[in-house]
Amino acid sequence: MPVEGNPDNPIEAPAPTPWPMLMALGLTLVFAGLVTNVAVTLVGGVLFISGAVGWFGEVLPVEHREPLRVEAAPAAIVPATIGVDYLHVGELGNRAILPLEIYSYSAGIKGGIAGGIAMAGLAVLQSVVVHHSLWYTANVLAATVLANLANASTATLSSFIPEAFVVALIIHASASILVGLLYGVMLPMFPRYPAFWAAIVAPLLWTGLLWSSLSVINPVLDARIEWRWFILCQIAFGAVAGFVVNQTERVTTMQHLPFAVRTGIEAPGLGGDREGQN
Amino acid sequence: MAGTIDREMGLDAVDDLEQLPILGRLHEWVITVDHKRLGLMYITGGLFFFLVAGLQAATIRLQLAVPNSGIVPPQVFNRLLTMHGTAMVFLVGMPILTGLFNYLVPLMIGARDLAFPRLNAFGFWLWFFGALLLYFSYIGGDGLYGAGSAPDVGWFAYAPLTELPFSRGNSTDYWILSILLTTVGSTATAANIVSSVFCMRCEGMTLTKMPVLVWLATVVSFMILVALPPLSAAQVMLLLDRFLGAHFFDTQAGGSAVLWQHFFWIFGHPEVYILVIPAFAFASEIIPVFSRKVIFGYSVMVAASCAIGFISMSVWAHHMFSVGMTPAGNSFFAASSMLVGVPTGIKIFNWLGTMWRGKLRFKVPMLFSIAFLFQFLVAGLTGIMLAVAPFDWQLTDTYFVVAHFHYVLVGAIVFMIFAAIYYWFPKATGRMLSERLGRWHFWLFVIGFHLTFDTEHFAGMQGMPRRIYTYQPGRGLETLNFVASIGALVQGIAVLIFVINVVRSLRSGEPAGDDPWDAWTLEWSTTSPPPEYNFATLPVVRSRRPLWDLKHPDDPDWRYE
Ligand code: HEM
Ligand SMILES: [Cu+2]
Repeated sequence: MPVEGNPDNPIEAPAPTPWPMLMALGLTLVFAGLVTNVAVTLVGGVLFISGAVGWFGEVLPVEHREPLRVEAAPAAIVPATIGVDYLHVGELGNRAILPLEIYSYSAGIKGGIAGGIAMAGLAVLQSVVVHHSLWYTANVLAATVLANLANASTATLSSFIPEAFVVALIIHASASILVGLLYGVMLPMFPRYPAFWAAIVAPLLWTGLLWSSLSVINPVLDARIEWRWFILCQIAFGAVAGFVVNQTERVTTMQHLPFAVRTGIEAPGLGGDREGQN
Repeated sequence: MAGTIDREMGLDAVDDLEQLPILGRLHEWVITVDHKRLGLMYITGGLFFFLVAGLQAATIRLQLAVPNSGIVPPQVFNRLLTMHGTAMVFLVGMPILTGLFNYLVPLMIGARDLAFPRLNAFGFWLWFFGALLLYFSYIGGDGLYGAGSAPDVGWFAYAPLTELPFSRGNSTDYWILSILLTTVGSTATAANIVSSVFCMRCEGMTLTKMPVLVWLATVVSFMILVALPPLSAAQVMLLLDRFLGAHFFDTQAGGSAVLWQHFFWIFGHPEVYILVIPAFAFASEIIPVFSRKVIFGYSVMVAASCAIGFISMSVWAHHMFSVGMTPAGNSFFAASSMLVGVPTGIKIFNWLGTMWRGKLRFKVPMLFSIAFLFQFLVAGLTGIMLAVAPFDWQLTDTYFVVAHFHYVLVGAIVFMIFAAIYYWFPKATGRMLSERLGRWHFWLFVIGFHLTFDTEHFAGMQGMPRRIYTYQPGRGLETLNFVASIGALVQGIAVLIFVINVVRSLRSGEPAGDDPWDAWTLEWSTTSPPPEYNFATLPVVRSRRPLWDLKHPDDPDWRYE
């Protein structure tokens, strides 16, 4: 319960007292005697003890207390007339540049798998139409890691080589999934026509990148790649992956939340409840 | 006696005294056990020694302004240096900071006094007489007959240099005895604050609803309780060596020369945090009010302060890299020193976060706080540099170190002491300090501070040794030292303006009202100055900003906490 003070019920406080001061002076003189004269120490000792006796007398058996007159009350606190401003976070599109919604990671992975299948289909078609073999493209892909295939003849590359097939599958699957994931993450950031960016611009960009660098990375592979088919395959991948990703539902990001909330720091007023103050 | 309605005893005596109003009032101050008066006495005493030790600093800088100067002889220089350092730490920093806590903590926790009012008075008087004893050394000993025997051993009093064969006479004894007394006083205050915070909070003020300042006062008090006893122990050992022929620090008799350093810095490093955490505390109250925003990251702030308290206990030997410790020792103390940077950095971000998008009001307390933020950042960075042991081997005992710790002691602590005085002066006296003089004070002090201590970093890197009474021309030190001395002069002028401001405002300052800054903590809910009993009705709080709740009944904090 709040304790109320008023003239009938005065507030009590410990009575003023000189004894603690006397005791402190005594102790100081006890010390000072070491650097001056023993007599000082003796006087200090007497003061110290009498201070202690006086002090104890004031608190034992009951503490000396003194009633205090209750003086003017503080001015009453007036409620503020100015309202409180709020900045409703995320409102006003103040985060227009960063995506407020993204695709889930699983959407990207699914898109990657679908794109990968479409691309593989086209690659097999190329293999059959151009080289009259089901396996040629897969073997060329595997040659990026299987060094002994790099110098193989066209006939060898057209035959079925089990370990080359497994390697090609792994390369193709992992690359497809990773690129799909990248698509899922990046698509929301493309302005306006995501399909155009996903199906045309992005595949052309990375084909250009590969085209300009492959002669250095792997000259043998570079000599065997047919770039028109390659571009076609990439576009197929981009279009299918982009389509699949685009079909899935978006989730909202935490971008619009204040930094403190995202990092889990507690800050009154930031926890999505209120921010600005007057 | 003001506030007394019952004067059955001693009525005549009181009347007699009232005929001599000055004596009567003085008597009241001498016998008081009121935490507010004792707080003001600590602060006033501390400010007095601030002027004294500041004059000593000015003399030091005067001597160093030009090479080969003979303004003071070497022995006097050593005394000035020792008395300046000792006074600034024990007679300025400690009393002003404990004084402010003494004044504020009961008001902020909605209590009528500290838990042990008489112990509080005892602590103050021990500090006061101890301080007098230190300065008595100027006229004590051979003083009246000779030049005085003030201590000349540095504020760290490294043994065995302070042993009898190397330090004759009583000067070192004065240092030991007076610091022993003042530290007992500080320890009493610390115990008092801890007990009050845990036992005397008003209704509704849970630990998580205490103002940050109260939290930090508690952390500091615990640190005082842990860190000061090693110093006292070492001092008693040194006394035994000097008076009774013990050999704790006497290497010839099997004592250890490094032992003193360990004892001293086990106290000495936490001590610098004991001084700087109150500065954090003031910043944490002032910055929110002048930004019109809640302190950012309250619990992180509190946790970081506790972390600083703990970690700073384990870094003391970064003052001893050049002693020649083992590589493992060096690595441990370097790493733990750098670790302190983490919670400290967190706190800086939290203050910035508080100001971020706030409605800043650039009143004088806020100006000092903002300067504090930047200067403390620099101080922390040079601290991290010194924590790299090989760097420290190069620059220890140069002016770089002097510049580093003055960035902390002045750039952070003194700046925040000024901020706190401008902020709470209206509460304690009922009158405002002048904004106009305050701005002059602020700008001159900032300029002077940077002139002095920025240059000292470079003087240190040029090889200017620390604790040296003069230097030779032609080593690239003249300009830097001259600029540093000019800066000291400018700081002196700034402090003079502050003194004028205080004296004028005490007499004729603008009346403050109860709550001049539109603040949120409990001390602003009572009158200015508060009555002896603080609160006629003990407050009940529901949130960390009880006055906000009262001012904004439509939007109180407790809805969100
Ligand atoms: C926060 C308040 C601080 C204060 C008041 C302070 C004060 C001081 C003082 C007085 C000295 C000189 C010691 C002597 O007489 O030899 C010193 C040196 C030193 N300080 Fe600080 N300091 C602070 C913060 C820091 C921080 C944050 C670090 C490191 C992260 C640090 C690292 C050092 C080191 C390594 C030295 C030794 C320099 C040497 O002896 O060469 N200090 N400090
Ligand atoms: Cu340290």
